[in-house]
Amino acid sequence: MEVDPTANAGYMIAAYVATAVILVGYGVVLWRRVKKGPGD
Amino acid sequence: MPELLAGRRAASRGLFLIATGLAGLAGIYVLALRFTPVERFQGLPQKIFYVHVPAAWSALLAFSLVGIASALYLWLRDPRLDLFAESTASAGLVFSVVMLTTGPLWGKPVWNTWWTWDARLTFTLILFFLFLGYRALRSALVDPLERARFSAVVGILGLILVPFVHLTVYLFRTLHPQPIVLKPSAPSLPWEMLRTLLASVGVFTVLLVGFVMTRYGLGRMGVGEWGHGAGEGRDHGS
Repeated sequence: MEVDPTANAGYMIAAYVATAVILVGYGVVLWRRVKKGPGD
Repeated sequence: MPELLAGRRAASRGLFLIATGLAGLAGIYVLALRFTPVERFQGLPQKIFYVHVPAAWSALLAFSLVGIASALYLWLRDPRLDLFAESTASAGLVFSVVMLTTGPLWGKPVWNTWWTWDARLTFTLILFFLFLGYRALRSALVDPLERARFSAVVGILGLILVPFVHLTVYLFRTLHPQPIVLKPSAPSLPWEMLRTLLASVGVFTVLLVGFVMTRYGLGRMGVGEWGHGAGEGRDHGS
């Protein structure tokens, strides 16, 4: 059965936001570690 | 000192790849939302496919590489292999979190449930817990030789589980769709969707390489809790 193309958009938005938050978050953690260097 | 420089170089290159991958992810969002058609029967939630499948690909690729590096470590006793396995396992866990977050968000509107204990989902969760255990084991063991040896065994167990996770959709009755790209026959997707999926797989793979290189570089630099791979590992051969 065909669905309304705009239905349930919230799930897609939540998935895209969660993906970006997780991947950017891990990237930032690594970047901060590199920036601190071995002295800390 | 050469170890520090090599680590810093690897970490810098890794960060460049991460930045490139994140820019690519923004591009994938535009490609998926603006230039890829909406699937008729699932509607917009089907577009979760373009992040869920590449995340699963990256996670399973990472866990496979952990197993291969672990087996090679047990054979060659090169500490760099142990550090590579550790770095790759951490990246694999990050992609697993993406996979296990986006999966239920796709399942709810399509299957009308967030989660079901069918074979594919359950074995994927077991694989995730196995690598959480891998991380916990590494944190618990102080002796670097013991840590590398024991975690290598767990890494190899994960490698054994990976093809089984892929084949669950053939071996068991499951709600999870069968593979539409990685299968013996041609991919069963319209070109516009296949193009977006392949581009996203490319971007996620760049991110995987970037995460692994950065963490590997940090290990060689001897930064914080990741500092055991390079310095202490020199004792392995003696």
